[in-house]
Amino acid sequence: MFDTISEKKFLLRQLVKRDLTSKYKDSVLGILWSFFNPLLIMLVFTAIFSMLFGKNIENFPVYFLSGRIIYDFYNSATKGAMRSMKRNASLLKKIYVPKYMFTISAVCYEFVNFLISFIILFGVMLITGAQFHLTSIFAVIPILLLVILIFGAGLILAVCNTYFSDVGYLYDVFALILMYASALFYPIEIVPAKVQMIFTLNPLYSAITCFRECVVYGVLPNMSTLLYLAAFAFTLFGVGVLLFSIYEKKLALEL
Amino acid sequence: MKILNKIKNYITHDEVNVAALEDNVVVNVEHVTMEFKITKDKIDTLKEYVIRTIKRNKKEKEKVRVLDDITFKVYKGDKLGILGFNGAGKSTLLKVLAGIYEPTSGNIEIKGKVAPLLELGAGFDKNYTGRNNIYLNGAFLSMEKDFLNEKFNEIVEFSELGEYIEYPVKNYSSGMRAKLGFSIATLVEPDILIVDEILSVGDIKFRKKSSEKINEMMSEGVTVLLVSHSIGQIRRICDKCIWIDNGKLVMQGDVDEVCDAYVANAEGEK
Repeated sequence: MFDTISEKKFLLRQLVKRDLTSKYKDSVLGILWSFFNPLLIMLVFTAIFSMLFGKNIENFPVYFLSGRIIYDFYNSATKGAMRSMKRNASLLKKIYVPKYMFTISAVCYEFVNFLISFIILFGVMLITGAQFHLTSIFAVIPILLLVILIFGAGLILAVCNTYFSDVGYLYDVFALILMYASALFYPIEIVPAKVQMIFTLNPLYSAITCFRECVVYGVLPNMSTLLYLAAFAFTLFGVGVLLFSIYEKKLALEL
Repeated sequence: MKILNKIKNYITHDEVNVAALEDNVVVNVEHVTMEFKITKDKIDTLKEYVIRTIKRNKKEKEKVRVLDDITFKVYKGDKLGILGFNGAGKSTLLKVLAGIYEPTSGNIEIKGKVAPLLELGAGFDKNYTGRNNIYLNGAFLSMEKDFLNEKFNEIVEFSELGEYIEYPVKNYSSGMRAKLGFSIATLVEPDILIVDEILSVGDIKFRKKSSEKINEMMSEGVTVLLVSHSIGQIRRICDKCIWIDNGKLVMQGDVDEVCDAYVANAEGEK
């Protein structure tokens, strides 16, 4: 069972397809919601916060959206991965499927949504007359590192959430803190210099900064920020894989 | 100590492997023990874990031993029946063999492609059409796209669903669901077939067809592990038999011998 890669690939494709179709099956607008949701949130935030910080930030909608889509991807992908075991509990207790397949598929599913949100960013940049930069191509690097980070965090969370069902609630709060420590809708300069240190330690903020540098400001990402993100991502990934491989076979008993 | 045991296991593991090759053993179950924690005093929140750690009250978990030191071997081409009263641990044994549960201790060696016919149609998505579910369910059973494309018509024909294959599964009757599940699960050509009481799904027509299909699969020299409450069925299909009671292996041997003892025991208890 599941000895070859192509068997796993086919299963992965089926799982992602299942999630995508079930998400939109009953809504009239269907997949369009993937566009509307971030767009509406962006409008609300722009309306509120451009009054507060508008003067400090050039092109607030693009500044906000570029951070928001990264945060959204991280947030929903880690949460999806965290719940992947419990959500498929009935299946995991009935047939043998490698359990990490469900964690991977949850992340892949959110990655598809993330790609869709790029279209919105593109559209908003077009409308607001933002400049497009050739350096945008380098955004692939922080995104790739972010995906590795998410896999690591997701695998750890999936194990913890299976053993302790209140980890989900704690993580919700943690994710909220992470959002405020990512400078999504305000400039980092308004934060006291001492607190800025904390921001630079937040790997999500590093990812957002690198992404903004490539796409919004048209410069190459800061090397030390990128290296920090890479180190963090690979460490977390290593820990996640290790933890998951230790507990994978015991998980079915805890579901 | 635990590590030492593990290393020891690894070493003996290899020896078992070699022995298995020589003896034509396809399933080798060695001292398998399976314990479940009772749900009611399981610590399943972080809050409780912290509180109990502080109170030093972590001595938790009454454990139920569902399988207790089970050891047996199945040779290539054997048809093994598994007998036991309700709650004896038969289904758990099959789940351990299918890889769903990891045994608490002991070793399991399996050689060859296993087809577990345990839960038919587990993993059906009820909003999906029958057609999409064939691919989804096939993927869960580690089949591949080309294979499913090739066999698609065969599945639809065998399941007798006709045009309903384009309808969502939530509109199916339970019989239709079982028929579709059966048709997908029996597609593979396995070396080892693990069956848990599924020889009878659907109406009388489909029952006949499905047991013919199973007989056909069994007759091709596959190894069969069959759990059933029908003594007649086991006598007919199997040539060897094991009897499990309260998680312990009571008896193993020739099918008639074990069946006779089992029936005598059941009648004696009345």
